[in-house]
Amino acid sequence: MFEDLRKVVTRAADRFKRRFYGSTFRCPVCHLVLAAIDADGNGLLVCPVCGAVLEIEQVYGHIVPVVLDMEIFRPQPKARLHPVSTHLPIGLFPFALLGAAVLFLVSLLPAGGGRLALAGLVGGAPVLADATLVLLVLSVGFSALTFASGYRDWRVRYRGRPYRQITLKIVCSAIFLAVGAIAIALHASGLVFATGSGLMQLGSPLGLAAALAYLGALGTNMIVLATLGHVGGTLVFGR
Amino acid sequence: MMDFSLSGTQRELVESAREFTREWISPNASTYDRSGEFPRDICREAFKRGFMNSHIPVEYGGKAQPVLDHCLALEEFATGCSGIATALDGNGLSQYPVILAGTDEQKRRFLAPMIEELMFSAYAVTEPEAGSDVARVKTIAVKVGNDYVLNGVKWWITNGSVASWYFVLARTGESLTGFIVPADSAGIVRGPKEINLGQHASNTVRVTFEDVKVPERCRLGAEGEGFNIAMATFNHTRPGVAAGANGITKAALNIALSYAKRRRTFDKKLISNQGISFKLAEMMTRLDAARFLTYKAAWLYDHGEDNAREAAEAKWFAADVAMSAAIECAQVLGGYGYTQEMPAEKLIRDAKIYQIYEGATEIQKMIIVAKLLRMKEVH
Repeated sequence: MFEDLRKVVTRAADRFKRRFYGSTFRCPVCHLVLAAIDADGNGLLVCPVCGAVLEIEQVYGHIVPVVLDMEIFRPQPKARLHPVSTHLPIGLFPFALLGAAVLFLVSLLPAGGGRLALAGLVGGAPVLADATLVLLVLSVGFSALTFASGYRDWRVRYRGRPYRQITLKIVCSAIFLAVGAIAIALHASGLVFATGSGLMQLGSPLGLAAALAYLGALGTNMIVLATLGHVGGTLVFGR
Repeated sequence: MMDFSLSGTQRELVESAREFTREWISPNASTYDRSGEFPRDICREAFKRGFMNSHIPVEYGGKAQPVLDHCLALEEFATGCSGIATALDGNGLSQYPVILAGTDEQKRRFLAPMIEELMFSAYAVTEPEAGSDVARVKTIAVKVGNDYVLNGVKWWITNGSVASWYFVLARTGESLTGFIVPADSAGIVRGPKEINLGQHASNTVRVTFEDVKVPERCRLGAEGEGFNIAMATFNHTRPGVAAGANGITKAALNIALSYAKRRRTFDKKLISNQGISFKLAEMMTRLDAARFLTYKAAWLYDHGEDNAREAAEAKWFAADVAMSAAIECAQVLGGYGYTQEMPAEKLIRDAKIYQIYEGATEIQKMIIVAKLLRMKEVH
């Protein structure tokens, strides 16, 4: 079953990549997957990872890159804010999601015996809910810093050249910020969590809808964050 | 009168096959080469566009496509990826024995459905101890009542794990007999995909037959006719194999040419060096020679003439030309030709099989010599 799930996810990811990147090829120097669409009118493209200046031509649908030059001196911001700040949302957000998932599971327990058996966890729910909110605020807040520093790096280090990876990162960052803000608003609104008990209000239709929207937002952001991390990783290591 | 031009229909076929190759095959060649997955989505699209099973006779829903037209399209597909081209064309090898020797009922049951929906079939002749020497086949078919019971192991079966039916060559007494065996018959065990040197997109597996019951109505031709049916098939399919090899040569030439025209060494374009440019000239000439042999073998078949010698000549020559072109392409690309990030190394891996399958190069030469022995003079 796990293998089937992996195949479905891989197929969906491949389909997305095909549509988003179009024709791709690997940089012959650092092996980064590059999109042919990023080449300029003369078929030239500078690899963002290794600085290889590539001239690409398609023959029979095969992309044939030729290394014309290497861009050795590349501007590097003195304060490397982006690599540092990028780990904060990536490190904090999964724990916010974990806290929300635990609270959801505890809230599903029937009011009688089930909750009594996990009395310690039920009692600690208000603290866990607060901690989840704090982690959420910190991860989304730091992601704004990550976004800003990443944008500066793109303008300075990559000279604002178009790369599908950077476009994807910008889009994903904007989604992460917007959906994160919605999740924070839902958490803080009192619609999802009952004041006092710290448990989700799954009994009322409005509370259930709010809780599902909240969990959906967190789940979506986790996927977006994983994509951001993966794409960011390829821009560091090539493959 | 000799006419080397293509007809309007043939030109349209080549154009559409080229467009399909550029859009579907070449961009995915590396992906399927790395994953080793069977390119079902590409086959589905090719099927929709009418590129598959087109040689099936008109009365069973096909187009009865001439071998020459088939070769023209196949060369285009193989220029994108010969592994994917093999997946697209693998059906032909098993369908042709049915076209050649099948009854009307067999053709309606096994060929006609392949026009209606995307299906695959496989030619199960080779065995672990019987490759080029087909007469050594050990798989045995014993008549029990109105059925035959098959036991044996078939090896390196293209399309083996995706096929809906197999053409199986089995021993009935002293001679060999052909059977059409539905893949869902009890007792058929399909092995895992073989990890070959090249053509990773092509599905090659072991197929084991353990007490597989085959009704008498699935026997192809009479008992003992199997060897001749299996061999006659090659007169039809070998020009196609040669066309696949020509596709590799064309890809190698295109890639080397594109690279040599743009890469700079010693302050000039790579192609300005005679050592490089002569390689390209030789590749082009050899490609033309291989194509003429291929087209002639196909043309003879389409005109109902014996093409056994010409098909053998085309197959071995085109295979050798493809192998040398792939190696020269890598040489032109230098170090980059040796990396997996450029298409040259894949061409080398893919080309090798053309010197081996459907009769190794040495077998082709034996066929040519056998024909020469019957000649007093060569004209």
